[in-house]
Amino acid sequence: MKTLADLKKIREQAQKNMSLRESNNRIKIVIGMGTSGIAMGAREVMKTFLNELANRKIDDVLVTQTGEKGLSSMEPVVDIIEEGKPTITYGLVNSEKAKRIVSEHIVNGKVIEEFVVEAK
Amino acid sequence: MQDLSLHLMDIIENSITAEATFIDVVIERNEVDNYLKFIITDNGYGMDAKDIDKAVNPFYTSKAQRKIKVGLGIPLFKQNAEFCNGFFILESKKNIGTKITVQFELNNIDRMPLGNIGDTMLTSIIGHPNVNFRFELICKNKNVKMSKFVVNTEEIKNELGDVPINYPDVVQYLDELINEGIKKTYMEEH
Repeated sequence: MKTLADLKKIREQAQKNMSLRESNNRIKIVIGMGTSGIAMGAREVMKTFLNELANRKIDDVLVTQTGEKGLSSMEPVVDIIEEGKPTITYGLVNSEKAKRIVSEHIVNGKVIEEFVVEAK
Repeated sequence: MQDLSLHLMDIIENSITAEATFIDVVIERNEVDNYLKFIITDNGYGMDAKDIDKAVNPFYTSKAQRKIKVGLGIPLFKQNAEFCNGFFILESKKNIGTKITVQFELNNIDRMPLGNIGDTMLTSIIGHPNVNFRFELICKNKNVKMSKFVVNTEEIKNELGDVPINYPDVVQYLDELINEGIKKTYMEEH
């Protein structure tokens, strides 16, 4: 069983890791979680991002949500926000694409043009 | 929506849109009295009587920028409940909050499956680190007595101090904690 004591250990380790870094959120991954996003599988996409980042021990990327953004036909929609770079919006994202976005874009910094709906 | 856990996700997103800072979700699976019930309570900005009527209308949306006014989240959830000998009650007070109670006949042939309730809990918590959530799972089995599981993010955040709740190791901890709770309460459907 998971206990609050387990959480304390995680906290201590996390504090050590965080103190060694300048910025704690190098990249923000924002998943559109409006009604149409949810219906098209946005929750599974978010879970895939969380799992992929955990498996790769990437702890300076934030995964978060937003509401509908008026791109319903492109749901699930994911924004990759990185300081000093244009925000990339990927559309029709599924688990497979999410995995590629992590390995190619998040890890290697290469935008996957074929999935892009918007860049600004 | 393919299952009830996705409907719940949609209702939670409504609370977020209403600027809720606390969302309480109770899910009760009662095999003795044959019902599956969801109670979602938030402290968002709420609605007045006129808006409550609109919320259950499929041709209404609160999103001003929409040209074609469709808001299907609530009406579909309501319809699904009513198809299953259940009900949907929306209570709300302006500037106080909203409470939604949805009940389904548990063994109704038309009832959607519960779906992955754990992922709905986890992604809601992680996706909204500044909102506090309390999820309570209650299960009353025919042969097992009542079992209960509660996850309260306020307690977890207190324990975490300055470490954010969306920190990867914390996400994994929460994922395991929630899935243990779902197993313990026999909430999962097979």
